[in-house]
Amino acid sequence: MNNRALQPIRSAWWYLKEISGENAYDRYLTVHAATHPDRPPLGRGEFYRQRQDEKYNNPGSRCP
Amino acid sequence: MGNRLGRYTVWIGVALVGALCWGVLALGRGETVNAAWLLFAALASYAIAYRFYARFIQRKVLDTDDNRATPAERLNNGQDFEPMDRRILFGHHFAAIAGAGPLVGPVLAAQMGFLPGTLWIIVGVILAGAVQDMTILFFSMRRNGKTLGQMAREEIGPVGGAAALVAVLAIMVILLAVLALVVVNALADSPWGAFSIAMTLPIALLMGFYLRFLRPGRILEVSAIGVGLLLLAIIGGGWISESSSYAEAWTFGGVTIAIALIVYGFVASVLPVWVLLAPRDYLSTFMKIGTIALLAIGIAITLPVMQMPRLTEFASSATGGPVAPVGPLFPFVFITIACGALSGFHSLIASGTTPKLIQKESQVRFIGYGAMLMESFVAVMALIAAAVLDPGLYFAMNAPGAVTGGTAESAATAVTGLGFSVSADTLTNTAASVGESSIISRTGGAPTLAVGMSQIFAGLTAFLGGLQAFWYHFAIMFEALFILTTVDAGTRVGRFMLQDLLGNVYEPFRNASWLPGNLIASALIVAAWGYFLIVGVTDPLGGINQLFPLFGIANQLLAAVALTVATTILIKMGKLRYIWVTLVPLAWDAVVTLTASWYKIFSSEPTIGFFAQRSAAQSALANGENYTGASSLAQTQQIITNATVDGILSIVFALAIIIVIADAARVWFGLIRGGKEPDMQEAPYEESKLDVDGGILEPVGAGVSSNRNE
Repeated sequence: MNNRALQPIRSAWWYLKEISGENAYDRYLTVHAATHPDRPPLGRGEFYRQRQDEKYNNPGSRCP
Repeated sequence: MGNRLGRYTVWIGVALVGALCWGVLALGRGETVNAAWLLFAALASYAIAYRFYARFIQRKVLDTDDNRATPAERLNNGQDFEPMDRRILFGHHFAAIAGAGPLVGPVLAAQMGFLPGTLWIIVGVILAGAVQDMTILFFSMRRNGKTLGQMAREEIGPVGGAAALVAVLAIMVILLAVLALVVVNALADSPWGAFSIAMTLPIALLMGFYLRFLRPGRILEVSAIGVGLLLLAIIGGGWISESSSYAEAWTFGGVTIAIALIVYGFVASVLPVWVLLAPRDYLSTFMKIGTIALLAIGIAITLPVMQMPRLTEFASSATGGPVAPVGPLFPFVFITIACGALSGFHSLIASGTTPKLIQKESQVRFIGYGAMLMESFVAVMALIAAAVLDPGLYFAMNAPGAVTGGTAESAATAVTGLGFSVSADTLTNTAASVGESSIISRTGGAPTLAVGMSQIFAGLTAFLGGLQAFWYHFAIMFEALFILTTVDAGTRVGRFMLQDLLGNVYEPFRNASWLPGNLIASALIVAAWGYFLIVGVTDPLGGINQLFPLFGIANQLLAAVALTVATTILIKMGKLRYIWVTLVPLAWDAVVTLTASWYKIFSSEPTIGFFAQRSAAQSALANGENYTGASSLAQTQQIITNATVDGILSIVFALAIIIVIADAARVWFGLIRGGKEPDMQEAPYEESKLDVDGGILEPVGAGVSSNRNE
């Protein structure tokens, strides 16, 4: 899979997954395993629910 | 050495290209100019500003230190504090700052010709807007992500802090009203538009349910489904508009649509976010980035010729042109175009969310300055889209009904009277080609931009027969979608701020999940912007003219607060010799905003000054006559009420600016004379252990491998 021609597509796909937050759960699992190996991590659904509530209960602002 | 020489040769080349493009733009002899010149003038200017001026600010003025740990690293909790890849953070920050503002303002300002707007957008962003965003981002980051209000209170004093709070709440209310008004003007009497926007509600509900229960966290999947359904809704709107019985059922007046928006804003603020707000947010973000990219590609490929002259005769008129906001070029162009050049609203985003996610201090240049340059580029493209329209068509669409008379014939006559020629047939045909019954006096900027964009996009899809009507409604959908996202999110933000404020009086208000508090605060915020929206929709003189200047002034008032905070902190950092970096934009902003306020308060011209309008309408009423533009005595009375409310607001805004700057000046002189010890509120230094790959602008692919190793 080291085809250089596919690199731009892989980059774009990575960017989309990161910016949409789709990758957030995988990232959380990595961090959780490193910091709290003793506790079981949240499930995917629970993680996104918490994250969404968190985001909108501390609203930032946006431009006009 | 050779390498260095090569680098400078490149920059000399960029400078020459930029100078050539600017020369053609400003001094060319031809009647019309190709948009390519504007595009390259902007890009070359941005590149030079980013490479030299932003770097100077980063290294000499702010003195960023990549060995110093950022709050994202020190306080990393995997939630609001988390080091985020700079390219991803750039995307988030850009999506948060770029809303409908950079699209609407340049369209309205195009009445002066394309040159004044272009100059302000490009020079303004380089010297003021991007500087504000970058410095506030940096200062907030050094303070663990404190908000602008907190920084104003701590660095200047309680008076500055209170003025900042007033400015934020006021701008929120006026902003929501203005944006909602833009949507109302675009959807009134348009069955196609009304249907496709209404369809976004069931689409959002479906997406919310899917994301919450069926496939949690599959954001890309659900967004793809949502965008697909959205395109179907636009196509469906076309069928609706062709069937006479359905078209009639979907034709609504302005007041009906305004009430629907008010109810929607209230419901979206009260309901849990996953039902409506979050899914709409995804839709609008993807539509926003996709459409902006499409517009850039469209302009780059079709290279349209701008029909609007460099300067129209209104640029030198003491009373300005017919398009709202009415007033002379200085200062009104500079408050009409806020987003894209200098927008105080950005300082709310640059303090708060983004600074908690930065990996390295030096990245404030890429994220703060860079994202603002990008927004400025969006404003340039909006200006191009308005300028490619035939000027006669532009004025027929944007002059208020009192000028155009509402029919194609009367509008053609009126526009010819303004010195531009357009035939009634052209106006009727243009309306038909975008699937609308009429495009006369479709004020507010959104429909004009949509016609311009549809011409550009139709050039792209010429091999399919143009599809102009589809593209027009695609553009309307895109603008309405993210204006509505701002309306629901803004109502929610306002609700939280109000609950916080009311919490000082009655403690339970602070609890965001306390239902009575939620309902009361939501109702108050919605009532506040709803009042201005209804007033704007029913205003006999066209609400945009009344509300847009207030919006521009409030936004630039916030910029004055932000630049004042930045200047104060620069003095405290011992960077007195560099304070011109924020002081010059502050001075300019203060002069513009106060001059505009002066016009709105003291001008004796009834079309410009609120109080002049009030007394003119009063004397008409006393004589038992209708004021110009009003069709009844009740409407004349309405004009008197509106002018009074708006005039008082103008006074409040102007006083707030004067108070903030005077209070800060007191602090500055104390610091400079050395009477006061600078009390820096920065978080203490801690050494960074975070390793970040590569430079700021390496190709995206280079970072992917390291990110995939995890």
